[in-house]
Amino acid sequence: MQREVGTLPLAPALRARLAAAGFQTAQELLDTGPCGLSKEIGISREEALEALQVVRQECHGDAARTAGGSGATRRCTALELLEEEQSQGFIITFCSALDNILGGGVQLTKITEICGAPGVGKTQLCMQLAVDVQIPECFGGVAGEAVFIDTEGSFMVDRVVDIAAACVQHCHLIAEAQQEEDHRKALETFSLENILSHIYYFRCRDYVELLAQVYLLPEFLSEHSKVRLVVIDGIAFPFRHDFEDLSLRTRLLNGLAQQLIIIANDYKSAVVLTNQMTTRIGQSQSTLVPALGESWGHAATVRLIFHWDNSQRLATLYKSPSQKESTIAYHITPHGFRDVQPPAAAHSTEGTEMNPRKRPRTEEEKQ
Amino acid sequence: MVVLRAGLCPGLSEDMIQLLRANGIRTVVDFVSSDLEDVAQKCSLSYKALVAVRRVLLAQFSAFPANGADLYEELKSSTAILPTGSPSLDQLLDSGLYTGEVTELMGAPGSGKTQVCLGIAASVSLGLKQHVLFLDSTGGFTASRLYQMLRAQTEDEEEQAILGRLRLCFVLQLEALQRIQVVRVFSIYELLSALQELRDRLSQQVVSSMGPLKMVVLDSVSAVIYPLLGGRQSEGLALMMQLSRELKTLAREFSLAVVVTNQVTRDSSTGPLKPALGRSWSFVPSTRVLLEGKEAAWEKATTQRVASLAKSPRQPTGIQVELDIG
Repeated sequence: MQREVGTLPLAPALRARLAAAGFQTAQELLDTGPCGLSKEIGISREEALEALQVVRQECHGDAARTAGGSGATRRCTALELLEEEQSQGFIITFCSALDNILGGGVQLTKITEICGAPGVGKTQLCMQLAVDVQIPECFGGVAGEAVFIDTEGSFMVDRVVDIAAACVQHCHLIAEAQQEEDHRKALETFSLENILSHIYYFRCRDYVELLAQVYLLPEFLSEHSKVRLVVIDGIAFPFRHDFEDLSLRTRLLNGLAQQLIIIANDYKSAVVLTNQMTTRIGQSQSTLVPALGESWGHAATVRLIFHWDNSQRLATLYKSPSQKESTIAYHITPHGFRDVQPPAAAHSTEGTEMNPRKRPRTEEEKQ
Repeated sequence: MVVLRAGLCPGLSEDMIQLLRANGIRTVVDFVSSDLEDVAQKCSLSYKALVAVRRVLLAQFSAFPANGADLYEELKSSTAILPTGSPSLDQLLDSGLYTGEVTELMGAPGSGKTQVCLGIAASVSLGLKQHVLFLDSTGGFTASRLYQMLRAQTEDEEEQAILGRLRLCFVLQLEALQRIQVVRVFSIYELLSALQELRDRLSQQVVSSMGPLKMVVLDSVSAVIYPLLGGRQSEGLALMMQLSRELKTLAREFSLAVVVTNQVTRDSSTGPLKPALGRSWSFVPSTRVLLEGKEAAWEKATTQRVASLAKSPRQPTGIQVELDIG
């Protein structure tokens, strides 16, 4: 009840007027009542009523929490959090080396950022994850749905069909090997049409649409409560061109980051973002660094950087709260994202060395 | 700037307030700074009554000067120094975190700020058996990593326990985990609510869930303030200063050590790193520590970090130590 007026979520003009009139604590506001308030500050009765409602909500929230109710705050002891984390699933990527360095896969309730040069495989991984999140629990997945927000237009449905078909095939093989009842039951619903119908696709053309989409996402997620993955493919693209006011960009990006963390936390889903790389020119050399500036680096909880080493694709875990930094190699096959095969069995993949940057659409172009 | 209300002090009745208001005196400051004879004439109130009210108001609302010696005695009895669990960091901070002060850790992404915070929380909870409040605004708090650190710390002491080693360690770790409360706050208003709630609990001395709280960790303060700063709005700065006042008064009144993490930015793409949130925030923490990785490139993985002292009331700045966050 002793909340200062300055700490309440009111409009700045209203706050300035309240301070000028001499109100200091929330209790004083509540005591004055809407008529008195509108007379003192010179606002209409409706505005005074609204303001008082906000104040009452905040104070009752505080009082309920102090009395011991859980309210809307997300408070718990570290022990409870540990139990929650240990029972949480991961979204596997089908590349066991990558899953290992991530500690099991892409974690739910955290933001993972994938940075890389063009053609290194960021969108491929996003599409793989959109399929993998739907793997039924008996096969080790989280049985969720996916939201795919595309800003660059790089989502290719036929590629997703390939990846999904390979995934279903993989699960069929496991079910045949293990011969268990729930595997067979799960496979009835895990089919190509089902997978595709559970990927919700949004196309955003500029940053305003992207921001609007992210702010409307909580409503969408409360209707579709099975969503466990939100992918934003190309968060850098709408913010990198056409922005004159850089401080506005920083503010919008940070607001976006906070909104995404709230979504990840409240709806228990993983948020995956892809970022571009830019060149930082130092004194004697230039290095590739993730785009969008220094402050954006703090937005993601886990940061993966994909890069090239001659013709081998490498992934480095650059920032993680629980895993060490390490680098692994991965491969992109017609079936999707996979581990690098040991050299003896790699003869069939020689064709990709001819054109390592982007895999050609048709098979005839490779020799 | 408190508004005059009936019952604010004995002798201040509703009629008196209406008369005063009719003459333009609405707040305590207006009353105390006006000429009472003048007021008595204009409002037709008794001069004696006005003087009495003024004396009471002054006693209620003004600050009292304190003796330097008294302050020193108070400081000696109420300040504690909390060891951070890492001897090199303790050396940097002049033997540990001082209660009653705000300490800031700043660094680039991936430099280890959250790891150091987790380490400090683990050490205070396990070693000193004090409660810790962890305010997480970035979603970076991982309980399994905290558990790993607790295990690493108890396994050192394991050599001294005699019987039932494993069981005792496990119980100690569980108790330590229970003493760390985690609150997730993702916007500035949630943060301010959480701090207000903390203040209410501590002043009512609700012992049940909080216990003897000694430390508040806020990771990170820039994540909640950045969306408000910049542009032509000054609302962001106002909220930032409100927050800093809350943190400092909490630290001082309840003898808590407040640890805050901050980001670093650059002026241009090639300028040197400087702490985020600008000059106004730089006056808030009394101690500032900058964390950097040892290697510049990100191809080599390492758990070594370098911590340097950027601002301190007790030690010369520029001291550097090496930390291992592994």
